[in-house]
Amino acid sequence: MPKQYRTREGTITAVSTKTQLSTLGSETAPGPLLVPANAKTLKAVISAFGCDLSVAADGAYIIRLEGSGLPEGPETLTIGSSGVPVATGGVYAMKANRVELDIPVTPSNEILIFAENTGEDTGSTTVGVTLEFGM
Amino acid sequence: MSRTLTVVGDINAVDTRTLLTAQGSVSTPSLVVPAGMKKIIKVIATAAADALADDGSVIFILRLGGSAVLGGEQVIVFGGLGNQTVQTGSDAAPSIGIPFQLDDVDIDISPSDTVSISAEAAGVDPGDTALAVTLVFA
Repeated sequence: MPKQYRTREGTITAVSTKTQLSTLGSETAPGPLLVPANAKTLKAVISAFGCDLSVAADGAYIIRLEGSGLPEGPETLTIGSSGVPVATGGVYAMKANRVELDIPVTPSNEILIFAENTGEDTGSTTVGVTLEFGM
Repeated sequence: MSRTLTVVGDINAVDTRTLLTAQGSVSTPSLVVPAGMKKIIKVIATAAADALADDGSVIFILRLGGSAVLGGEQVIVFGGLGNQTVQTGSDAAPSIGIPFQLDDVDIDISPSDTVSISAEAAGVDPGDTALAVTLVFA
């Protein structure tokens, strides 16, 4: 069966604070992320993050999925972590991570995606999340 | 059908069992297994340190227990990290925790009971460490 992919991104700048991912690069207002018509399941979540390492600290990053598009309620996922001993050092690159799931969805309803920097404040972290829907 | 549960925490001492009970902006998330779920099918875990202690070398252990975990506590190694002398210059290396994902966990659980999630760093203290763990139920 075909799949459909929907993506949002955003930047976290505060620790332990829900930050909605509501933009999409060149699209500053892509609107609500709606579950595609006829979608039956959230089949997977693909995520990536990049931290500017501007604080000598360590933190872990999670995402939250909420909204009427998820009839069983909110979901949460671990997406990674980072730390650095000085605020002036470090550079890195990493691939995105895909987690296969099977979460019921309600077609045409909204899913809100939030990201959080937990633990210590690590600076500014940009997070991208793709929802992979199965039809 | 699957459901998820994520917890986070900090480990600031080695060889110390640390319960993970927070979830960022949610200070006390429910640790009750959702109704209808019978297994833990995946574990996703990550850890990164500030490397602010000399000569750190640790591995991380995840402990899954509580009344929901049938068969007693399950213990899984999910990562490790190390560092030499604390770096102070602009060439300091970061610690990046790429998530460890175990896809065929298959641990029997009791729905509507509570799961206890704890972690430990075993070895030589690398400084403060932040962790996050997700359980995927089915």
